[in-house]
Amino acid sequence: MEKGKPFVASLHEVENQLELSLRQAFESLEPKLQPPFSQDIPDPQEFIELSRAIVYAALCDSGSSKTHIKHLHALVTDGYAFFTSLLVGTVVELYGKLVDAAKVQLLWLTKEMVDVSSVGLEDLLVSLLRRIGSGDYGEQNVWLCFELVSLFLDKWDCLLEDAPLVLTSALYSFLRLLADHCRVSGIPKLENVKRLEIKFCVKMFKEQLNLSLKIGRDLVRLLQDLVHISEFKEIWNDLVCSDVSKIYQSKTSSRYFLLRITPEMETQLRFLLGNVKLGSHKRHQVWFLKKFLLGPEKETVLIDIVRFICCAVHPTNEIIRSEIMPRWAVIGWFLELCRQNQYVEGRVKLALFYDWLFFDERMDSIMNVEPAVLLMLWSIPQYPHITHSLLEFLLHLVDAYDIACRDVITRGVASAFREIERKGVVQSLDMFLSNPEIATDLKKKLANLLSCHQDIN
Amino acid sequence: MHLFLKDIVPAAQNNINTRFIILDKARSPASASGKSCIALAADETAAVHIQLWGDECEAFEAGDIVKLTNGIFSYVRNSGLLLRAGKRGKMEKMGEFTVAFVETPNVSEIQWNPDPENPKRYIQNGVVSAHSRIFPPLP
Repeated sequence: MEKGKPFVASLHEVENQLELSLRQAFESLEPKLQPPFSQDIPDPQEFIELSRAIVYAALCDSGSSKTHIKHLHALVTDGYAFFTSLLVGTVVELYGKLVDAAKVQLLWLTKEMVDVSSVGLEDLLVSLLRRIGSGDYGEQNVWLCFELVSLFLDKWDCLLEDAPLVLTSALYSFLRLLADHCRVSGIPKLENVKRLEIKFCVKMFKEQLNLSLKIGRDLVRLLQDLVHISEFKEIWNDLVCSDVSKIYQSKTSSRYFLLRITPEMETQLRFLLGNVKLGSHKRHQVWFLKKFLLGPEKETVLIDIVRFICCAVHPTNEIIRSEIMPRWAVIGWFLELCRQNQYVEGRVKLALFYDWLFFDERMDSIMNVEPAVLLMLWSIPQYPHITHSLLEFLLHLVDAYDIACRDVITRGVASAFREIERKGVVQSLDMFLSNPEIATDLKKKLANLLSCHQDIN
Repeated sequence: MHLFLKDIVPAAQNNINTRFIILDKARSPASASGKSCIALAADETAAVHIQLWGDECEAFEAGDIVKLTNGIFSYVRNSGLLLRAGKRGKMEKMGEFTVAFVETPNVSEIQWNPDPENPKRYIQNGVVSAHSRIFPPLP
């Protein structure tokens, strides 16, 4: 690679502060980055500047990057914490501006940090996992996916010892990506990536089942989309034959849902749900759609977005009482967007109701089930077909999601409804049970479900 | 110091520093002599019509947050009151999406008259239209 600039230059753009600090440090310290290196121990400020300069230099130039890393090894006294934080910042803030050759260098630096088990390594690997785009089968994205799954396989022992939970995060990411990747064919490089993803996930289940189970109940949701792959059949059968209700009981930590949402998407969703008023939201919606959802196969990210909104974006009471876009309205919009795609629609609805199925008021949050019930309630006047289709879907899940655990699920959904009423999210369940807009058979089924489990509560 | 859009006043001076989000952009170039186009921009307090010049027309898209340094707000023939960088000012993208804006009042749709006390200054003298007449609000 020729020595060049690591970031794409943009004429009409304010320079990012991190980019500026890396570039300025490099420009002022470039002569000191060549051997013989100074024998003096740098003071803290010099160390910060040298670290910045080394990041910039190593991103620029593969020819001398080994020298730069040796230099870093000689300087470091903080377990590579600061250097790693600069790499995390680069991934989060500047990844889209990196030229292709600098992305190669970034991955190389990451592997170096794995080898020295740097402080903050987990953050670095998680931030890179979040950079794998959904529904993007361009060369760059397939390359990143290949590089990361290879890294997790090649550095397995090292990661298992130093940062075992990052393997769990990688499992979540690759299980979810596999479901998407199996829906496209005819991209030779992607076939190879799929093979490695399967290899990594199977290795996790076979060798590190306990780490795999740490994902919690969403592990089952991800795995059920992969049972058609022969390698997963056995894993699925073993899991279902074991005490699957135990897995259902363990709530999935919200940090897993962030894994399939890019930082830009997270920022925009949080802004939409924290700052934009209902009624003047149209332009923001159009921009979000244009940036993230247009294009074949892009819609599958809606599954991840809905799970993220339900479980990871919990507005304060102040926001709930204000005119800000409520979560149910945003989710209603996403459901409308995927109505043409049955595969995605079904999974988006499952994502919306997933915590209902295993709801236990002692450990589950009311905020995870609130969007679905409010969407059903507020749709009654103008969009009764939405209420109808959601309620029908939920009641169908009770019957059919997992017949062996039907009791567990019936109890979960009934508890969710009761807790919704008890906490005042909905004034009274009669708003559903005696609503003339809702079909009689659905009301009957719902009443039946609620009466079955009245005693338990 | 950054001004809010509600506080900008027409003047023949290149001294407006502000930031706004671009809401919409006219498709075809507005002027025959040199390339320019008109866009709708806004912040938390007001909206305004802006003029993009030359490669600014392609560089900025709806949803971009723009920092304007040393801009000018004045009448442009056939186009009305426009905020622009002018020869001495600069527009730079500084982000995307994260501005909660309003589309009314639109300071380009306000009737400005010379201040009787100080003829060099303009004061507001009534609203021509609450919203932009070039870029109506989304239905």
